[in-house]
Amino acid sequence: MATIVEGIGLTKRFGFGDAAVVAIDSVDIRIEECELVMIMGDSGCGKTTLISLLGCILTPDDGQLRIDGEQVDTVNHDLSVIRREKIGFVFQMFHLLPYLTAMENVMVAMDIAKTKAFESENRAIELLSRVGLSDRLHHRPGQLSGGEKQRVSFARALANRPKIIFADEPTANLDSRQSDNLMNLIQELRQEHQSTIAIVTHHEGLRENADRIIQMKDGRIIDA
Amino acid sequence: MKNLFLKDMRYRRARVVLTALGIIVLISLILLLGGIMNGMRIQAQQYVKSTGADIWISGEGSGGAFIGFSLLVEEYMAGLKTAQGLVPDSASPLIFAQARPNIKGKPTKAMVVGYTLGELGGPKQVIEGRMFTPRTYEDYRSEDNVPYEVVVDEKMGLEIGEIINISKEQVRVVGKAKSLMFVLDTPLLFMDVRAAQRVILENQPYINMMVAKTLHKQLQEQIGANSGVLQTPEKTPFNINNLQTAEEVAANLDALNTIEARSLDQTLSDIMEYWVDEPMKAVQFIRVLLWLATGLIVGMITYVTMLEKTQEIGVLKAIGASNKYVILLLLKQVALISLIGVFVGYCLSYIFAAAAPIFVKINFVESIIVACISFMVCCGSGYLAARKAIRVDPMVAFRGEIDSTPSRYEEMLPITEAATRI
Repeated sequence: MATIVEGIGLTKRFGFGDAAVVAIDSVDIRIEECELVMIMGDSGCGKTTLISLLGCILTPDDGQLRIDGEQVDTVNHDLSVIRREKIGFVFQMFHLLPYLTAMENVMVAMDIAKTKAFESENRAIELLSRVGLSDRLHHRPGQLSGGEKQRVSFARALANRPKIIFADEPTANLDSRQSDNLMNLIQELRQEHQSTIAIVTHHEGLRENADRIIQMKDGRIIDA
Repeated sequence: MKNLFLKDMRYRRARVVLTALGIIVLISLILLLGGIMNGMRIQAQQYVKSTGADIWISGEGSGGAFIGFSLLVEEYMAGLKTAQGLVPDSASPLIFAQARPNIKGKPTKAMVVGYTLGELGGPKQVIEGRMFTPRTYEDYRSEDNVPYEVVVDEKMGLEIGEIINISKEQVRVVGKAKSLMFVLDTPLLFMDVRAAQRVILENQPYINMMVAKTLHKQLQEQIGANSGVLQTPEKTPFNINNLQTAEEVAANLDALNTIEARSLDQTLSDIMEYWVDEPMKAVQFIRVLLWLATGLIVGMITYVTMLEKTQEIGVLKAIGASNKYVILLLLKQVALISLIGVFVGYCLSYIFAAAAPIFVKINFVESIIVACISFMVCCGSGYLAARKAIRVDPMVAFRGEIDSTPSRYEEMLPITEAATRI
């Protein structure tokens, strides 16, 4: 299996001087193709910061990052290109645009990637049907339940056929039944799309779904 | 999705409407103020141009005709009848003074114009009634009777035969002239120069100015009337190139040190400065302030919208939107709101101008330029505010929540449908 994401000596500090906090401290990490990895740890241990670094939302202060075999030049490279071409995000708060329907929310990701309108429409319908929302295509986020919103969010993350999907606490705002349904869906999508998925969670009950658990503490990986 | 910005605008329609309303009001005001100034310019010029004179003579130190206080004794001006460069006997006395006539029991503003019938300074014909009776004596004495008759502006609403009081005298309306309102809709009352001396100058034999026509202008008019083109100056009695221009004649007369002489262009320029530009400086300043206010409104609303959308912008950036994509999303909204605001404001200004109680003339070309500048001001300030969006950290996507308060439409959804959601 090929390595999709590889971080070597990744370090991220916030603040300056004596007030500086090392959020990620010389972390080495590899995520292989089609792997479902769960990054776990206590609150404040650096899980979200780590996926932000791996997802090219934050730039590391030190260390190197390779995505899909390519070195990421965090200084000169427009990271938004990598984010829209190779990475999908699922957020804890879903973050669907309130004025768009479920279908349009999925289409936005493809619009950003300059996909033609009719192609993105077809793909949005296909993805939403796949996540069980074919009857909710034209509903706005305010008309959807939490579980439905998160499924739309997953469809959006899959829209541009990313190499890897990072999900930040995707079940944190769902009840246990919705969480189970979502995890089942993630497993199915992963099989179908051959997706690589990294999930940040502190929900111990989800452990059994992971291929591998990366345990973090105080900005370091203590067990991978 | 080409209409993403439209959907966002529809979602925030109250803000869009209020912003557009602000722009509409301000643009209308900017254009209206410009129209008022333009109207004043037109009115300041139309009487002066209508006289046919191109030399205006006032008392030394007056600063020019229509500007400062000027009193001349007509007899002393006899030399002007034969002055070089002037049409012989064209120099005519003129009284042009502000008055407060009492019309139908109500004090009204007006300008009394006293001139000699058949000479320069006033209308040669009326559109209704007749001209005032000219004085018939050559050697005028102050105790002689004068015709207390007046030709009024057609828009004054006076009828032939009506009596109006000016100072202590009563004058009868005998005719109506084509409207030649002076600045800020001040109507003109035309009467014999002697009558004007009675009602305005308490029968003192003074005049305010002398007006005359140059040979140069007369010849130009003749050539223009004959052929429409300046073709054969050699065939005319004078070669136009050998004649002094109005500026040259005015300069020669001005050198006499007892009078001030100005050409038509100089007089118009003086009037424009004294009657329009100087008093309207404050208005010009207000126009600039209104422009700033327009820019500020658009900039502030865009900035507030941007702040409100920080989470959204962060999410868009997190899922791969470039800075250009985000800023274009905001700029399209700014441009559309500005366009609607400027266009509606532009149209409304014409409606307001038609309904205004004073003469407002919006210049088409100027208004288009003003509208374009206003549009650019709006877009520019919107752009400055929207640039902040570039600095939004996509990390905000990992925090907080996008406001997704259900819209009115959603609130109207049947309960049964809402209940089916899990």
